[in-house]
Amino acid sequence: MAPAFSDTACIAWLEEASAEALDALAYGVIVMTSDGVVVGYNRAEADLSGLAPARVIGRHFFTAVAPCTNNYIVAQRFELEPELDVTVDYVFTLRMAPKPVRLRLLKRLGAPRMYLLVERRQPHVD
Amino acid sequence: MSTELMETQLEELTGFLYVVPVGLMTFTMDGTVRLANPLVAQLLMPLTPGGDLLNAYVALAPLMPDLARRVHDFSATYGVLVDHQRCTAVFDRRQAVLSITVHRIHGGVNLAVIEDVTRLVEQERRLYGDQQRFQAIFDNVRDYAIYIVDLQGKVEEWNQSLQRFGGWRPEDVVGRPFGIFFSPAEQDAARGTTLLANAQQTGSVETEGWQIRRDGARIWTNSVVTALPDSDGSIRGFVVVSRDMSRRKTMEDELRRLATTDPLTGAFNRRHGQATLADAFQANAQRAVDGNAEQPGVLTLDIDHFKAINDRHGHDAGDAALCATVDACHSVLGERGSLVRWGGEEFLIILPSTCPSAATEAAEDLRAAIADVRVPVGDGAFRMTASIGVAVAGCGDNPESLIRRADTALYAAKHGGRNRVVVGN
Repeated sequence: MAPAFSDTACIAWLEEASAEALDALAYGVIVMTSDGVVVGYNRAEADLSGLAPARVIGRHFFTAVAPCTNNYIVAQRFELEPELDVTVDYVFTLRMAPKPVRLRLLKRLGAPRMYLLVERRQPHVD
Repeated sequence: MSTELMETQLEELTGFLYVVPVGLMTFTMDGTVRLANPLVAQLLMPLTPGGDLLNAYVALAPLMPDLARRVHDFSATYGVLVDHQRCTAVFDRRQAVLSITVHRIHGGVNLAVIEDVTRLVEQERRLYGDQQRFQAIFDNVRDYAIYIVDLQGKVEEWNQSLQRFGGWRPEDVVGRPFGIFFSPAEQDAARGTTLLANAQQTGSVETEGWQIRRDGARIWTNSVVTALPDSDGSIRGFVVVSRDMSRRKTMEDELRRLATTDPLTGAFNRRHGQATLADAFQANAQRAVDGNAEQPGVLTLDIDHFKAINDRHGHDAGDAALCATVDACHSVLGERGSLVRWGGEEFLIILPSTCPSAATEAAEDLRAAIADVRVPVGDGAFRMTASIGVAVAGCGDNPESLIRRADTALYAAKHGGRNRVVVGN
């Protein structure tokens, strides 16, 4: 049974999931090594971003794939914090159009993989 | 064009825009964001955490609260309405400076270009700080001139230190060769060019010498010329630091004078005379190698009946006679030789490079000049004469033997009736 975006046991499932299982998810998943190199990019994320997994895998996510996250809100938290499970409202500039998203930053102490989950959200009402 | 090819090209374009290191964002007149690249999110999301980036005026409000008004006040269909305006933002306890430019690209659509210039601003601040520090040094140093010259030695900029050091005004120096600071003789000898060539080879050279002020007065200076490397390692010019050493020079000259002269008459003292004669012999050895026929010569000069002058007119008159003799000798000799008070009323004149006829002529000139002197005493004056022995070095002579031969000649002059010149054999 695939976990929901906010499922608390999410990370354990992700660590065991096959590429096919990730592709079946409704939300985007980016799997990174502990230094930020993309090793997994599921179909939902590829559809959101317009980038094929082949173009993304092996690149550094925060500098070469999604520089929009290379700041203290996202990239630096992955870099500096040993353990992470936080959800932040953010904006991706997918296909150069700003898209409000909800990000879930997942990092387990000592684990070889980090995960960024991406889900579309409704804009705030100003 | 096939759909597949178009998709590949679109993906490549998307990938390209994803990594452009400048924020680009288009928005309509009501602020609605049409397109924005990732750098916009990277730079602006920290300003409005949790924001949506759907409206440019809202997203940029922390940096430029009046953007909406400025956009609406700009009536042209295209053009720049905000030009590289620097805005400071603080987030995550860090101060960032973003440069914002807004163009109207066509009716109703605006393009914002956003750059993080934090590091540039920091560099500029450091550079400005350095400039201010150097300016403060240039403007406030005393007894120093500090200036930059280009590879050809032309002065690049005027500063206060040049004014203070040499009275130079900007129009006197800017663009002119720094040789103008050296005394005219050295200027002719292209001293500046030589200094620069040496500095270019070794990095830095130090030199001491005369420089001139704008009013023509001379100052004794110590100068250090240092090559200025450019960022690529090539030399782009030189910095010259000149220090006014006049006071030290005056003091050194005074010490040298005290150490080498006789306090009463101002003639050289015996020790300095010995050194001068030894130098003359050494220089002569070199001259002989060069095939020059001239030789060192000495005259020994003794005031006739000096004891009688003391006895008749007193010791002050004796001192006055000695001083008058020295003055007369100095004016006759000029640069031809050195006058040494050898002891009591006896003088030694060293002619470093002479021949028997020239030495004899000099001796005769000295004798005549002394005979012409009137030494004032009381209401009147007295005259005196001197006897002179001449010797010019031959083969095998050394300073002692040369002086001995001159002394023998002097003895002969005394016995021959005084007030005369005798040439030794």
